Amino acid sequence: MEEALVRAVLFGTPILLAALGALLAERSGVVNLGVEGIMALSALAAFAVALDVGPFLGVVAGVGAGVALALFLGLFAITLRANPFVAGLAVAALGLGASGMLGKRYEGVPLQKVLPEAPLALLALLLALVLHLLLYRSRFGLYLRSVGENPKAADLFGVNVEGVRYLALGLGGGLIGLGGAYLSLAYRPSWTDGMTAGLGWVAIALVILAAWEPLRAVCGAYLFGLLFFLQFRLQGSVPIPSEAFAAMPYLLVILVLALSGRSRAPKALGQPFERGR
Amino acid sequence: MRLELDPAPSPTKVALSYGAFLLLALFLLGFLFLAYGVSPLRAYGLLLSPLLDPLGLAEVARRAIPLLLIGAGLSLAFRVGFFNIGAEGQLLMGAVGAAYVALFLPPGPYTLLLMFLLGGALGALWAGFAAWLRVRFGASEILTTLMQNYLAYYLVVYLVAGPWKGQFVFGFLYTDRFPEVARLPRLGDTLVHWPTLLLGVGAALLLHLLLFRTPWGFSLRVLGENPQAARYLGLKEGRLTLLVALASGFLAGFAGVGEVAGIHGRLLEPAQISLGYGFTAILVAWLARGRPGLTLLTAPLLGLILAGGDALKLAFSMPFRVVDVVAGLLLLALIGAEAASRHRLIWRR
Amino acid sequence: MRKLVWLLALLLGTGLAQGEKLKACFIYVGPVGDAGWTYAHDVGRKKAEAALPWLETRYVESVPEAQALPVIDRFVKEGCKVIFATSFGYMEAVLEAAKKYPDVIFAHATGFKRAPNVATYMADFYQVYYLNGLAAGALTRSGKVGYVAAFPIPEVKRHINAFALGVRAVNPKAQVLVRWINAWYDPAKAREATEALLAQGADVFAFTEDTPTVIQTAAKKGAYSFGHYTPMLKFAPDHVVSGQIVHWDVIYIDFLKKVKEGVYTPKNLQNVDYFWLLQHKAVEMGADYGVPINPKHVPLLQRARMRVAGKEVPVYERIMALLQDMSSPKPTFDPFTGSIRDRKGVVRIPAGRKATLQELLTMEWAAPGVVGDWPGEPK
Repeated sequence: MEEALVRAVLFGTPILLAALGALLAERSGVVNLGVEGIMALSALAAFAVALDVGPFLGVVAGVGAGVALALFLGLFAITLRANPFVAGLAVAALGLGASGMLGKRYEGVPLQKVLPEAPLALLALLLALVLHLLLYRSRFGLYLRSVGENPKAADLFGVNVEGVRYLALGLGGGLIGLGGAYLSLAYRPSWTDGMTAGLGWVAIALVILAAWEPLRAVCGAYLFGLLFFLQFRLQGSVPIPSEAFAAMPYLLVILVLALSGRSRAPKALGQPFERGR
Repeated sequence: MRLELDPAPSPTKVALSYGAFLLLALFLLGFLFLAYGVSPLRAYGLLLSPLLDPLGLAEVARRAIPLLLIGAGLSLAFRVGFFNIGAEGQLLMGAVGAAYVALFLPPGPYTLLLMFLLGGALGALWAGFAAWLRVRFGASEILTTLMQNYLAYYLVVYLVAGPWKGQFVFGFLYTDRFPEVARLPRLGDTLVHWPTLLLGVGAALLLHLLLFRTPWGFSLRVLGENPQAARYLGLKEGRLTLLVALASGFLAGFAGVGEVAGIHGRLLEPAQISLGYGFTAILVAWLARGRPGLTLLTAPLLGLILAGGDALKLAFSMPFRVVDVVAGLLLLALIGAEAASRHRLIWRR
Repeated sequence: MRKLVWLLALLLGTGLAQGEKLKACFIYVGPVGDAGWTYAHDVGRKKAEAALPWLETRYVESVPEAQALPVIDRFVKEGCKVIFATSFGYMEAVLEAAKKYPDVIFAHATGFKRAPNVATYMADFYQVYYLNGLAAGALTRSGKVGYVAAFPIPEVKRHINAFALGVRAVNPKAQVLVRWINAWYDPAKAREATEALLAQGADVFAFTEDTPTVIQTAAKKGAYSFGHYTPMLKFAPDHVVSGQIVHWDVIYIDFLKKVKEGVYTPKNLQNVDYFWLLQHKAVEMGADYGVPINPKHVPLLQRARMRVAGKEVPVYERIMALLQDMSSPKPTFDPFTGSIRDRKGVVRIPAGRKATLQELLTMEWAAPGVVGDWPGEPK
């Protein structure tokens, strides 16, 4: 049982980080569907720098790549007011594609200086707490939430709507990038094309499941990690087909969602801000 | 300096903005090709090459079939605010339904019809479940449909690895081949299963007429544009949502039937059944702006991007990710241009 | 003098004309990636190209099954004379294309249906898995050996069975705990499946999937492991004991040479089937090229004993002797020699004979000692 809890936390961590990143952006009203691509590019950037320089700069590079790609998404979703859903999907494809094409020469190279998982997991937990405090206990959090709920009112009160959204999206990108770095430097210390294997989409789902609350995201991510681990731990020891176990985490998400009822998304989520409308 | 909505953009401005953004995308792509030692001009040529030969056109058409079916349904669903992103799973369920009829019911002249009906019904069931969860419990359909994709995936794995595994497949993960009456005819020696294509065209047109020429369509449009007004009008939001979900699931199920009956001829590993059509179709639907009829244009367009990307990776032995990069950049260019043409730059605050 | 120059030029000219290159094209099922099936084929392709100056190759990666036919169409249009289709799932497409293009030579990996212009080929690991099973049986202290497996298909089942037979030959009470991840490539699943096995007490690991994840994960907890497909020593130099390494280039070079020499034509491939093993040098036992067993672990294996025909012998000696035997042109030993029962007690290979090729290719049963879910297990 102890191992199961450890796995829940250690595998939950990259999902948590990515979910926190998406959550931060979404609280300011910007949908970020590019998580999978941002994670993929960050994982590559982190690995490349870690290999040539060192793991700590690798983390910095991963975070940096995440910020950069998220801001690139902002260019379309915030400044140009393009459809944020499609822009996010395009960024996901672009991030995956770019990492796959740029990363060829890093494939099959093991990383010697590996980052330990536990401190990073702790950091992720702390970041969730900080995010919670930031959202509910700081002036910036107030601005951020108001921009996500009612940008017009926030604008009238003199909040720079686009600035806040860029900041949230960028910082969120950094968190997603940290998740990517965790994958390629700690969780599985090497890089291969497609190594994010759909975790980004899980993270996006988790945001909704967690009803846009950082602390609930912690529980959700760990729960997912636990179920993911249990499908292999229990496989074969109970007379249930392995496929049923593999489907378990997803089934449970549906169940939790049905039971927890109407979730409350930020009101202005996915709506580009047009002044004077 | 700021951007402001332009209520009536001039055609020149629209054209200019599309031109500029596409040029920008091609320019960026050009760098990528240069980095791979490939002449950008040749690469662009290859991207469009599927349009020039029958083989390529067949490839575009083959991809357009499921994109059209799913895209038409999704454009309707998105219109009323039902964000069905589980078309991939509904497609798989359609494939399961088709396989059941083909493998376990006595073959006869009605086999294909039954395959489409059961496949469509299972697809509809899959989407309808998400709609019911939303109407009854308020569960976000974005999440439930996404999760149901995984459920459908594992259901198919279970079927082909377990109870439905074929007698003549040497232990591999396939069902036996469908009997001949359960196969769709194809155009010449291409993979274009034309009955499904006709079905897709028909569905797009029908949904378009339904949406814009019937009272029911009118209520759907009201619901999509102004839910509050819909409530004042006494429209049954839950019921309409459910119906639209069923329709889009039904069509996605059709797409699944088409893939297994027209191309594979059996049920197989789920990742091989659809080439991500359920997700690509989201873009088809978005580009069609909630007009099912427009998917007749956008589905082949996406089909062309995919087929062109494939031609590219084949001709230069490039990594398969080139398709993603091309698709991502072109999409960004399209939506960027669309957004830019709707706005105008104001130089003062 | 001038005549001589002319003559030389003429010779050179005809030489160049003759030197028109043979174009061989490869269809890969996955991305080339870092360690797995497709990567190994690509290594083989590159080695063949380097070894055969008259060869020109092309490849296209991540081709889904349904896409094989259009890809072949394009390859043929671009002048490919030999097409290698490297996944079982391409079988129907290859046979269809072979009818359409009777002058093109096709070779289909892992398949079993041939035609006048379709040959089949496979480099199989079951002997190597057996040898690694012997080592695993000697190394496990808990009596539990972990096996992370991709999909329940005959190839993978054959490998697990061979491995389990090896483990049990040394340690008759040992168990091989199998976990299916239902994916060829998914590092997260491979990682968590390995963690689950570690939690259940497994201390030696083998696997059949396309990443080195199992090795990296096992090494963190100090567990031994065996690489798969490509040399994986570098991923955990202290914990990788050995592994299965493929040399597709051996098959590719042999095949292409025979095409070039006119031995193989689009009319005579009906019975050409490569099922190449250790003796053909198409596969190798090794932690790295030329390193059958990681020197760090040799002493351990020398100390471990097993009974062979009533005599105690060091496991290391046994492995090396069998490796040498099976690598010789006429091997006398085969892991699947009867009588072999499955884990339910049914005799699967009768006493006194080896498994036939057909039995190997369609293996569905589970060997004794295999513990875990086994989709498609015969009743």
